[in-house]
Formats: sequence, C-alpha cells, structure tokens
Amino acid sequence: MMATRNAEAYAAANKTYEWGFSSDIEQEFAPKGLSEDTVRFISAKKGEPQWMLDWRLKAFALWQTMEAPDWSKLNVPPIDYQDAYYYAEPKAKPKLGSLDEVDPEILRVYEKLGIPIGEQKMLAGVVEDPLNEDGTPKRRVAVDAVFDSVSVATTFRKELEAAGVIFRSISEAIKEYPDLVRKWLGKVVPQRDNYFATLNSAVFSDGTFVYIPEGVRCPMELSTYFRINAENTGQFERTLIVADKGSYVSYLEGCTAPMRDENQLHAAVVELVVLDDAEIKYSTVQNWYPGDENGVGGIYNFVTKRALCQGKNSKVSWTQVETGSAITWKYPSCVLAGDGSVGEFYSVAVTNNRQQADTGTKMIHLGKNTRSTIVSKGISAGRSDNTYRGLVRVAPTAEGVRNFTQCDSLLLGDQCGAHTVPYIEVRNPSAQIEHEATTSKISEDQLFYAMSRGLDAEAAVALIVNGFAREVLQQLPMEFAVEAQKLLGISLEGSVG
Amino acid sequence: MAAVMELPSTREESWRWGDPAAIAAAAGLPRGEAPAGAWFLELEGARAVFVDGVLDEGRSDLRHVAIAPLEGGTHVLGARTTGHGWSLRVEAHASAELIQIVHIATGGENHVPAEIVLADGAQASVVETYVGTGWSNRSTRMTLGAGAKLARAVRLLQTAGFVSVRDEADVGAEASLIVTMLGAGDAGTRIDGAITVSGDDAFAEYGGALLARRDQRQECALSVRHAALNGQSKQIWRAVAADTSTASLAARVEVARDAQKTDGVQSLRGLLLKRTATVNLKPELEIFADDVKCAHGATVGELDQRALFYMQSRGIPHAKAQALLTRAFVGDAFAQIADETVRDAFVADADAWLEAAL
Amino acid sequence: MLKIENLHAEIDGKEILKGLSLEVNAGEVHAIMGPNGAGKSTLGYVLGGRPGYEVTSGSVTFDGVDLLELEAHERAAAGVFLGFQYPVEIPGVSNVQFLREALNAQRATRDEKALSGGEFLKLARGQADLLGMDYDMLKRPVNVGFSGGEKKRNEMVQMGIVNPKFAILDETDSGLDIDALRVVGDGINRIMRAPDKAVLLITHYQRLLDYVEPDFVHVLADGRIVRSGGKELAQQLESEGYVGIAA
Repeated sequence: MMATRNAEAYAAANKTYEWGFSSDIEQEFAPKGLSEDTVRFISAKKGEPQWMLDWRLKAFALWQTMEAPDWSKLNVPPIDYQDAYYYAEPKAKPKLGSLDEVDPEILRVYEKLGIPIGEQKMLAGVVEDPLNEDGTPKRRVAVDAVFDSVSVATTFRKELEAAGVIFRSISEAIKEYPDLVRKWLGKVVPQRDNYFATLNSAVFSDGTFVYIPEGVRCPMELSTYFRINAENTGQFERTLIVADKGSYVSYLEGCTAPMRDENQLHAAVVELVVLDDAEIKYSTVQNWYPGDENGVGGIYNFVTKRALCQGKNSKVSWTQVETGSAITWKYPSCVLAGDGSVGEFYSVAVTNNRQQADTGTKMIHLGKNTRSTIVSKGISAGRSDNTYRGLVRVAPTAEGVRNFTQCDSLLLGDQCGAHTVPYIEVRNPSAQIEHEATTSKISEDQLFYAMSRGLDAEAAVALIVNGFAREVLQQLPMEFAVEAQKLLGISLEGSVG
Repeated sequence: MAAVMELPSTREESWRWGDPAAIAAAAGLPRGEAPAGAWFLELEGARAVFVDGVLDEGRSDLRHVAIAPLEGGTHVLGARTTGHGWSLRVEAHASAELIQIVHIATGGENHVPAEIVLADGAQASVVETYVGTGWSNRSTRMTLGAGAKLARAVRLLQTAGFVSVRDEADVGAEASLIVTMLGAGDAGTRIDGAITVSGDDAFAEYGGALLARRDQRQECALSVRHAALNGQSKQIWRAVAADTSTASLAARVEVARDAQKTDGVQSLRGLLLKRTATVNLKPELEIFADDVKCAHGATVGELDQRALFYMQSRGIPHAKAQALLTRAFVGDAFAQIADETVRDAFVADADAWLEAAL
Repeated sequence: MLKIENLHAEIDGKEILKGLSLEVNAGEVHAIMGPNGAGKSTLGYVLGGRPGYEVTSGSVTFDGVDLLELEAHERAAAGVFLGFQYPVEIPGVSNVQFLREALNAQRATRDEKALSGGEFLKLARGQADLLGMDYDMLKRPVNVGFSGGEKKRNEMVQMGIVNPKFAILDETDSGLDIDALRVVGDGINRIMRAPDKAVLLITHYQRLLDYVEPDFVHVLADGRIVRSGGKELAQQLESEGYVGIAA
C-alpha cells in the first residue's frame, strides 16, 4: 500500500497538475483585445444600467493613463493585454434548480475539482445536513459556483433570503440591488487604486455580492469556486461583501484552474465593508495551475483584496492558503477606521519549482484602540521564491494601537529563496508594534525522528510542514482545513530527495 | 546647485522614507563661522580636522593617515565624493593607533572620500565626529583582510544642515568589523551602508542609534550581505523620535546561495516621545540558503508607563524619568563599543540630546 | 531475531564501529555499556537507519531480513523501535497526530487496517496512563517544551503505542529522577518483556538495569564488543569502572 501511495504521489508530482484539464463547453467570447468597445461589449452582454457602464468606462480611461507596477522581487514577463479575451460565458445558461438542470459538463468539472459529494448534493439542494463522524451536524455551505465568468448556480437562496441575506452574482446584484451596489462598489478599492484593480474595474466579468443585514448571523458558510476555463481569457472577478451592524459571515473561496501552456492573467478585486460590531471571516484556498517544473504555463494571480472596517468594534479576518499560480501578487488588507476594530491576516504560502509568490498584508490603523495580528508562514522549495511583504501603519490619531506580526520562513533545499519585507510606520506613541521573524529548514533530526517512527520521507515532510503552518491552518473553517493540509503535502511532492 | 537636482526621488524603494529636499536645503545654507568646541576625545593617536571638506593641517596630526585621491564609488551620493580624501592602510598583523577625525562644516556642501584598508591580521580603530552646518557628504570604503579587526564609531552632531554617510565594507575571512553610529545632532541624517561578508567565519556588526527631534529626519538604509560560509552579523538599532521628527531604519540581511550556516541577528526598535513624531522600520530578510539562522525582531512603542510612574512615585521628575528610561533603551546600541572612552562619549552625547529634547 | 556480524561503520569518513558482532534472540534483554565515545549511540543510529552513518562492511539481519537495505521508516514498520537519547522537537505537530500517522503508516506497510481516531485515542490514552504521563501532553506538540524526563517518558509512551518487536533504547535513563526511572523501567518490562520480543539497552550507568534486568551485558569500547557476560558484569563495571574491564 505504501508503495502504491508513493507511486501515485510521484506520478502526480512529476507529471501533471492534478486538476489540470479543460472542458469543452461552448464559449461566447468578447472580441480579442482590450478597447472601449470591449468594455461596452461586456456591459451590454450583461444588460447593465448606464451608471455601471459609465463607471467601467471611467476606469478604462484611467487605466490607459497608468503604468504597470514595478515588480519588486517578482520576475514577470511582459503581458500583452491586447492578446487576450476579456469575456467568455457558457453558452447555455442554466437556471437555478436541481443538479439535473445544470449542464452535465459543468457537473463533471465539479467532480474533477473534487468538490465534496456532500456539497455537490447541496448544490442540488436535495439533502438534509449530513452529520460528522462524531455525530455533530456538519456546517452547511452555500455555493455560488462561478464557471468562467458567469455565475451558473446559486443554492440555499431561499434560506438565505429568509434570513435577509443577499447572496448574488454581482451582475444580478447590479440589476436587483443597484442602490446597495452603487453605494459600496469602489469605496474600499477605488478605481484608481492600482493598475490591476483599475483594469478589473473596467472589465470585471462577474463575481459575488453579499449583504448581511443588521444583527444577522449568516446561517451558513458562503463559498464560491472560481475557475478559469477558456484559453487566453483573463479572469476578472469582482467580489463585494457588506456586513451591516452586528452581523457575521464566514466566506470561503477556493480556486483551481486547468492546465495551459500560455500564462493566464487573473486580476480579481475583493472589497469587504464591515459596519459596527460586525465581522467577516474570509478564507481562501488558492490552488491554480502553477506551471510545470520548468516554469512553463501557470496563472498570473494579481489580486487586490481589501477590507474597510468602518464600524466601531468591527472585525475582519483574512485566512489564505496559497499553493498555486505561477506568480502570486496579493496583499489582503484591512483599513481599521472604526474605533476598536480588529484586523487579522493568517497566511500560508507554498512555492515549489519555479513559482513566485509575493504576498502579505497591509494593516492601516486609523481608529483608536484598533488591533491587528499578522501570522505569515512562507514555505519555499525547488527553485521558487517566496516573499512576505507587509505594511503596518499607525496614524497620528490612532491611540492605543496594538499589532503583532510573526513571519516565519521554511526553506526546503538550497535552490529557493525566502524573503521578508515588512514596513512599519508609526505616528502615534501609544502604539505597541511587535514584529518577529524566523527562517529555518526542516532539520535532519526531525526528518529522521519522524521516519524512525514509520513515516516515509514525503509523509514526514508533509507532517512537519503542516506543523509549521498549524497556526494558520487552524484558522480555516473545517471544510477547508483538511483540504488545505492535503494541498500542502501535494504541493511539496518531489521537493525532498 | 545643479548637482543637487540629481538627488534620488522618494519613489525609489531605498529612499521611501528619505528626505532629498533637506539635502538640497542644507547645501544651500550660506558658509559662515566654524563652531567652537573641543571635539576630540581625550585619547592618544592620530588626528585630522576637515573644515568644509578641506584638511586643516594646523590642527591635524596625521601620522600614518595619508591624504590621497580616492574614488567615491557608484552610490548616488557616495559618487560625489570622488577627489582627495583620507586613507588609512595598515600592514599585515600591525595595529594602528587610534585615529580621530573631526569634520567641521560651516555651510554649503562638502564631499570627502575615505578608505580604510586592513591587511591580513591588521587592526585599527577610528572615531569620527561631525559638527557644524551645511551638507556634509562622505563615502568610506573599508576592506578587511583575513583576520583583520576594525572598530569604527561615528558621532553625527551637526547642529544644522544634513550629513550623508555612505559606507561600503568588504569583510574577509575571520575578520571582524564593528561600526557604531550615533545621530544626536539637529541635522538631517542619511546613513547608507552596504556591508559584504565575503570571507568564511567573518563577523560584521553595524548598528547604532538615531535620535531625532524638532522637524528632523534621520534615517539609515543598510544592507549586510553574507556571501561566505559561517558568517555572523548583527544589526542592533534604536530610533527615538521626539517633536515632529521622523526616524527611519531600513535594515536588510541578505544571505547568498552558498552562505550556509549564516547567523544574522537584527533588532530594530523605535521609541516615540510625542504623538506628532514618526518612526519607520523595515527589518528585511532576503535569504537564498537553507541552513541559516536569521532571527529578527522589531518593535515600536512608547516608554513603559508603569516604569515611568514607579520612578515618579519615588521622586524622580517626569522628564528625568523619561531620560533615564530612554537612555537605557538607547544604551543597547552602544554595547559593542569596546573602548570605554568612546562608549562614554556616545552615552554623554545621547544624554545631552535627551536633556535638550525632553 | 537480530544478528550483527563484523559491523564497520563510519561518519564523515571517521570509523566508529570497528567490527562489532552481536546476536539477540527473541525473549532476551541485552545491555550495551561502555565509556563515552565508544560508539554506543552510533550503534543505535546505524540500526535505526539514520542518514549519514555509512556501513563500510559487515551485516545486520533482522528476522532474516537485511536491515541495512531498509530505509528508516521501513525498519520501523518491520518492528524496530529506536528510543532516542535526545528526542526531537517538532513544533506545531501534536503528539497524537504524529503517532497516529506513524502508527497507521506502519500498519499500512504491514497491510493492516488503519486505526480510527477513536481507536487510536483509546490506545494512546491507555499507554499514557500506564506511564504516568498527563493526557494533555499527548495533545501538545511533539517534545516541544518538554523537560528531559518528560521527553524520555514520551519515548516510552510512543513505544507502548507502536508496540514494536525489537527496541533499541539509547540512554533512556539519562535525565530521569528516581521515580521516573522506576516508571520507565516498569514500562519497558511491561511493553517489551515477552517471549517474541527483544530489547537492546544502551546505557552508560548501571542504575536502569536495577529495574530492567538484562540477560546479557556487553561492554563496548572503541567500536567493538570487548567483553560479554551476565548481569553481574554490569555490577562489576559499576564498581571497577570501564578502564580496568575494557583494557
């Protein structure tokens, strides 16, 4: 059995991206290239109101005046923005309902993706809550599945609606809740924020909108699966979550993408708004195609994620497990404006082969007695580079700020790099800012000890790495924790000899 | 001042917290009288006085120090120093006498290059003091042969203007470099350091304290690069900011692919004395070798309020209590100064600053 | 059960074991004693399969299988347990998680069914109780923050859970106070004293042997067994020292 397991592991490590496949659903494309016409096409395709089109056009005009960012530690080949499609949708748009009504091809994709059976059933909305092994009820997950750019199915809508929760694709929300969307869209990440956020503002295809009304604790975990499925199609998701006073929501996001030879661009924007005493927990497992062992192919993942803790005692917790993408560039951040608001960032980033990850967070303390915690665990293997880049800023008005930052790097092998680039900018003396960082490798003692108890080398490494990342993994909702642990091991296969 | 126009922009990463405008302003200060004072420490050895970048022979006793044409290197500020500067070359296994250098500026800009070249097993110590006003710009290249030892202590005490110091060092096998900086004047400060640990089993310590007040901006941008086996480095820095000042520390440890068994220690700590002040820290690691120990810590905060109250309750006035605690905070950065007289001078400089600032 | 013949082993090119031969049969407890630097720990590591220890000649068979051909984890699965002199800390990985994965990996190799979480916990809790280890320590990261004595006790709990055929216990008595020594000694007897099992105790002092009575005592000096005898040899060593006996 052991031998079989190993053989499978090596096959997976040496050969392919496990989930690298593409399905051949007919696509409807926007014309290749990027122009004002592309923007108008997307907006028309989605039947958007004039204000939305105007907003997009303004962003596009801005984008044309901007320069691509300075890549710091990343080595990014030049991107030809005219050589890509900016919009694609599955031709037959199924109505929400049972599994039978969804394109069977799409269902097969979900199966290959490994969406748990339970969730697939939930997607159909046909089963009671299954119980966990120990008899406790399993938490429920509502899945708004994004297939390429268009949302094709939403579940549990009724129950969510009964609670007053709005959970829609953003295109639907623009039409159904224009006032809410207009009020908050671009308020956390302004159109001119950065090159990729501006691009996203112009051409975003779809995404998710969530509104949790005052005092409501969202009755289930919300989850969206993103996929890129069309050759040369940039993926420009837009997510907006508004948590009204005293509300709570846990949102899960997981990504995989099919194998491609050409590099694919992804530039998502996620905006979170949190009012008084509200909390959003946002968890991500990112496992997009990382490219092969020579660095060919793989997703370029340039994401802008930011939360505005506007209300008093509001809280945002970002948790991310980043194992995929050829290049990852993302800094889920918190603007802590409300007095007593709390920002958290828990991150595990794994890079192997030729992957490059530059990720971290910004904690902007504006309100009094705001607190933030940053725990970053970077794991580098192969010939990869893994960078933590973070900013903790304390404004003069922010009395009593507390921040604790822990950045740990683990190197597997001597051909990779681990970098820590923290910025600390403090303008109020009552702040207490602490930053600690360590760099280590897996010691031979640890490996031998684990192996002498019966684990093979791969299993020993996976175990030790999971221990290293534990503080972050335990922040994940149960549904993701197991998957994430598996991912860490899989991502590092072939990295120890 | 055409040259000033070519100063770097704060858009550049290493000048993120920099203040190029202050350099231009300092260079524009009119030349005036040299300040009076006894700037040399009571220590035997060679002495050199530069007034606005020119050696004052009457007040100097060069002994083994030479004046020679030197290159300023490629650094944006360091490059401007190309010209005549001071040179210390010590033969293998020789110990040079202590060298004291006082840089007096009266206004305008002045640029001086320097080199310290220690052959295998050679030893030297250097104390430098900057006073006056204007823009004083220096570059110092330090080359340490195998087993060489250099201790260098630099006091930045100009009362106005700007002092920019560019240091480059190459530390050979089993050599030891210890540089201690103190910014305790009223001038803007920019310390640029690029230290390379190029020989196996070598040691480099580059640290100090920046004490900023009024509208001053003091900053240090330092990188220590480990390019050899078994190297050890320390960057112990303390930043204190009062009034509307800004003190910034950007310190980096780089570990090259082959520099296994490196032990790089970094401790950056900031103390804010007023809510209008700013401390910026950037403790950076860039690591390409897997068998290394690079622990670093950074903290920013204010003085321990309980300790302050405790001291006050025992009768110590608030300002005095602040001064005592701040002194203790800063003191860590001077611990590596081996010469007691030099260390006492650093502590006295810091005390004088605290007396005035608090 | 274990047969070592003319074993030569080196580390970093330095020969430590210089022709060691030893045979251990089922049901026997052997003690290896010897001065510092004799090669006692090296013997444990070579038998455990630690990378970096190179066997230059000789052979080791375990139940007829060439032990030296197996990787460390395969030796564990075959039933060999190495109790470490300095148990290793693994931050973030709980004892329970570590041992369950290890045990199930061993069971998988032997084509045995994996233990469920519940079954494993019951087993682990039982062993911890028997060795007087607080159950909370099972939930803590492997050896992190454990005292020297706690680490040794943890090794014994691990041994109880894994239930090996053959245990090599390297200086298991070091760092133990007198009460802990009794508990650990009782543990070894309980877990390993069986007709189908055997133990190789590597120790510097005689005191553990008061609790775990050896059938054979060997003196290891300069990479070779220089003298063998019954338990009385240990007492003789204690009173006369190694110098006289090894010479």
